[in-house]
Amino acid sequence: MIARLRTLLVGFWHVVSRPSAYLPLGFLTLGGFVCGVVFWGGFNTALELTNTEKFCISCHEMRDNVYQELTQTIHFSNRSGVRASCPDCHVPHNWTDKIARKMQASKEVWGKIFGTIATREKFLGMRLELAKHEWARLKANDSLECRNCHSAAAMDFTKQTRRAADIHSRFLVTREKTCIDCHKGIAHQLPDMTGIEPGWKEAPELQGRQSWLHGHGGADLTAILAELRPSLD
Amino acid sequence: MSPSRRDLLKAQAAGIAALAANVTLPAGAQPVPGGVDALQIKWSKAPCRFCGTGCGVMVGVKDGRVIATHGDMKAEVNRGLNCVKGYFLSKIMYGADRLTRPLLRKKNGAFAKDGEFTPVSWDEAFDVMAAKAKETLKAKGPTALGMFGSGQWTIFEGYAATKLMRAGFRSNNLDPNARHCMASAAYAFMRTFGMDEPMGCYDDFEHADAFVLWGSNMAEMHPILWTRIADRRLGHPHVKVAVLSTYTQRSSDLADIPIVFKPGTDLAILNYIANHIITTGRVNRDFVDRHATFVKGAVEIGYGLRPDDPREVRAKKAADAGATTPIDFAAYAAFVKDYTLEKTSALTGVEPGFLRQLAELYADPRRKVVSLWTMGFNQHVRGVWANQLVYNLHLLTGKISEPGNSPFSLTGQPSACGTAREVGTFAHRLPADMTVTNPEHRRHAEEIWRIPAGVIPERPGYHAVEQDRALRDGKLNFYWIQVNNNLQASPNNTAEAYPGYRNPENFIVVSDAYPTVTALAADLILPAAMWVEKEGAYGNAERRTHVWHQLVAAPGEARSDLWQMMEFSKRFTTDEVWGAEILDANPDYRGKTLFDVLFRNGQIDRFAAGEVEAGYDNAEARYFGFYVQKGLFEEYAAFGRGHGHDLAPYDTYHAVRGLRWPVVEGKETLWRYREGLDPYVKPGRGVEFYGNKDGKARILAVPYEPPAESPDGEYDLWLVTGRVLEHWHSGSMTMRVPELYKAFTGARVFMHPDDARARGLNQGAEVRVVSRRGEMRSRVETRGRNRMPPGVVFVPWFDASQLINKVTLDATDPISKQTDFKKCAVRILPVSA
Amino acid sequence: MRGQDPAGLRVTAMRTLFALGLAGWLALIFGIASAQQADPVRIVPRLTGTAPPMASEHIPPLGRPIVDDVRRMRNYPEQPPVIPHSIDGYQLTLNANRCMDCHRREFTEGSGAPMISVTHFQDRDGQVLSDVTPRRYFCTACHVQQTDVAPLVPNTFQDAHDVGRKP
Repeated sequence: MIARLRTLLVGFWHVVSRPSAYLPLGFLTLGGFVCGVVFWGGFNTALELTNTEKFCISCHEMRDNVYQELTQTIHFSNRSGVRASCPDCHVPHNWTDKIARKMQASKEVWGKIFGTIATREKFLGMRLELAKHEWARLKANDSLECRNCHSAAAMDFTKQTRRAADIHSRFLVTREKTCIDCHKGIAHQLPDMTGIEPGWKEAPELQGRQSWLHGHGGADLTAILAELRPSLD
Repeated sequence: MSPSRRDLLKAQAAGIAALAANVTLPAGAQPVPGGVDALQIKWSKAPCRFCGTGCGVMVGVKDGRVIATHGDMKAEVNRGLNCVKGYFLSKIMYGADRLTRPLLRKKNGAFAKDGEFTPVSWDEAFDVMAAKAKETLKAKGPTALGMFGSGQWTIFEGYAATKLMRAGFRSNNLDPNARHCMASAAYAFMRTFGMDEPMGCYDDFEHADAFVLWGSNMAEMHPILWTRIADRRLGHPHVKVAVLSTYTQRSSDLADIPIVFKPGTDLAILNYIANHIITTGRVNRDFVDRHATFVKGAVEIGYGLRPDDPREVRAKKAADAGATTPIDFAAYAAFVKDYTLEKTSALTGVEPGFLRQLAELYADPRRKVVSLWTMGFNQHVRGVWANQLVYNLHLLTGKISEPGNSPFSLTGQPSACGTAREVGTFAHRLPADMTVTNPEHRRHAEEIWRIPAGVIPERPGYHAVEQDRALRDGKLNFYWIQVNNNLQASPNNTAEAYPGYRNPENFIVVSDAYPTVTALAADLILPAAMWVEKEGAYGNAERRTHVWHQLVAAPGEARSDLWQMMEFSKRFTTDEVWGAEILDANPDYRGKTLFDVLFRNGQIDRFAAGEVEAGYDNAEARYFGFYVQKGLFEEYAAFGRGHGHDLAPYDTYHAVRGLRWPVVEGKETLWRYREGLDPYVKPGRGVEFYGNKDGKARILAVPYEPPAESPDGEYDLWLVTGRVLEHWHSGSMTMRVPELYKAFTGARVFMHPDDARARGLNQGAEVRVVSRRGEMRSRVETRGRNRMPPGVVFVPWFDASQLINKVTLDATDPISKQTDFKKCAVRILPVSA
Repeated sequence: MRGQDPAGLRVTAMRTLFALGLAGWLALIFGIASAQQADPVRIVPRLTGTAPPMASEHIPPLGRPIVDDVRRMRNYPEQPPVIPHSIDGYQLTLNANRCMDCHRREFTEGSGAPMISVTHFQDRDGQVLSDVTPRRYFCTACHVQQTDVAPLVPNTFQDAHDVGRKP
């Protein structure tokens, strides 16, 4: 059986490894193209299959935890019925980023196999770490996945509540802050938020005024002291 | 009146300040126009009108109207806090549709069952009512006469009712709506400790290291107690909170251990924890040996349905549901051995990890645990069992009767304990934990009441659900409902309750402040005074008796329930109600009115009307000519003094923010049954459960048994009913406060979004909630405070336009006869279908 | 006030009240005003059930929360102010308190929200703490949103300024 298989493979390699003596070049080119389309298409289809909410919640870890939380939010049901599914926020739309994210996902497969968040108890224990990954990613890409749908430029401040319009014009339009700075927990329950402060903690117009007096400013104070120290030494 | 020098100075100072700040004061903001007198508000204390927490409030009165309320800083329960309902107490009496005159159904100038409600005088109302009662008595005797009261009655009112019914009309058909609320808790207390009500108190909260909520959404239903738990949990990081529920709710937001279990399976969790304590060797053997004995309960005890229901026919021990047989520790340990972690996790749908964490809270000897429960346990077809199984855990570990270690049954009504339980308004009870079935108890009550021997009937009367059935079947024909919305609250009310109200053989009287569903289904409506429109006393869940003065007058001709009962009793003579045999033996009582023998008995009328504290009106004292409330209270207190239920002298209560009984030598008791904390424990005993003759508590072995009805292919969802923060009970007060109404405008069906989408139901869509018994309409809510697991829906019952009890099942715990409002099967359909 | 009227006036006052209540109420529920002598029993389905009592009737859509950011006058100083903005999806848990993200003292300058009142810093014993007392952590126990619906029946509560001796 194995010997037969080996003969077959060797024979196949023998044929494909040499230039064709019998088939026309056009057929080969076309054939190659068709094969390419099939393989590439297959890959992409498979990729897209993993890029659906249905796929995400086929694992109970996602279905019983984060998905349940999503169903309570505006990204699940809202006025116009437009909705964001898991990959809309968690998978980059641009191809290279998407592939990079998918390669990262191999770690999640690992987690699945070893049951890292196999129970609600374990999931709650990991929530802060998991959330921090997503906050860091969104902070680094300037909330790219938010902006895929919510463009700052397209916001009509007259259609927002006065409070929202005010905060958006002070923080978002000035690019002082990015979406995730203020909208943590928009689609899921928050982890322990001790020490994680809201985006507007330091309003742009207040910065450099008295902010060093506040808790956050402790870092600034340390910096000033660090600068002073050499002269003291 | 010329302004005083002081007033002038004040005005001048304000003017100077304004000048300095360079502002001109507008005329309306002139400093103190009319002097400080115009600003003065008369503040008096009162307990809150709503739940069983028993918060103290300060009530501000100006010119005969309540103009503000706020949390009483001096009240230990709440120390200045109120929940949103409490903050709006000042508006509950001022709904524009207050009932101010008696209304009788009349046609062509006379009473007619199918007549229109017509305003009548109190005289006419009582004439018709007394005629109907006498007609019933003559035709069928006292068992056809009934009364349904409430844990919202003041202590005096409940006491007057129990006297009027049992000693006056010789009928035990008196039950409170507390039957639907905490009968299971009361039975479990009696069966375990031989004495009703918690051993601990709210002070336990500041001492505990763990809180376990067994079927209680305290964040919404006991918000002020929740502030004390939040205070403890958030202020002390080592403290843990476990919340067990059949869905995720606001209390879950504070949970370290969030547990959502399949309806009814809490019994298995309780037995698993007992098993865990035993198998890990953490039983407090010394405590158990000295202070507990073991019993095994009867099983397959049925569901309290009508006897011809197939489920009752199948139940082997339905007739003797409360039976127990003694066993020993080894037999108990073997009994709970079945409840392994794996089996319990599979049955309940709860992760093993959470179950183990929960069990450790109890097992860990270094952790002080407070267990809390309300309707999740009590409104349960095995409610008495559930209550007792939690006592098992505290008894096995000895975590009981000391600060921070406390199994604590919460109550839902302001005087569920004080009135319904302590005064004895249940169909089988007398004051101070006595029962009508015990001849010694009856004799004792007859002596205190100064009535002839043999007046109090021996057979327990109809309990709440039985009253509905008896009305429908024409066995109960004269029925008086006070301070509650019985029809809206009754399970399966289309089939079992409403027909009885409209049964032409029956005469239904409802005393209420507002036109409720129940009032409008009655034949005669009597307008009632409410809350601070009368002097009152409530007893909260921690045995605290709290008294208040009448602060404003009731509108129009509205009268207190107490006045109504006392005045009505004048229309009956002993000859009409007691029977020849008793009167022949006691000729002195002949020809007297019930008012004379029950209320002018030389005890109740011994305090003069003038003894009412100066500065406060008292409509009843003014009318009857003696200090009615004080007289009733002192006669009632005679039952408990020296018997573990001691109350302080009445006047003391006007000076304090309530006292927790037993009040012995002027000192209240915070923790009962422990030496040094409870004066009734004999020296050297350490702990003594003196309610039982052997001084020991009972540990009960009972299994998990399934609910009366579970979802199936046809009715595929569990229905849970309950309350919301903003509305209290049937909403008759809170729905009339604009702010509370606007905060939560109507009932809705909380359901899982996937359940909704699978049925083609949008968020906010109108739906029909259909059960085997009836249907109602509502709107879908897939978000918000209650996050339902798939397969379970929640509908609150406060909305009179959405009577969810048309759908619920009238199954009860067969021991306590308390309804299970938490478990029945429904389907949800779009309105178009 | 009503309870203290001389007996002779009581009936008139009652009638007026009934008529007023009925009129306001009919206008509210049915959109028509009635000046007729009142039938004393007034059916407001949400309060009194439907007529006939056990009927199922159309359930109006739920009210919408008022999110106009306009502060509402309190009925008396001790009343907790109502929430005039959206709190949809606000998390108030062991882990996070979205309300305090704006209303905590040190965040108010950036958020423009009113600071929690001074009473909120006091513990059970009245001792002032440096931040919100844990017992006041769950804001929604006292502070609620309002929806854009009309009251079911008028409430005759009177402001302290409208009763008593006038200057």
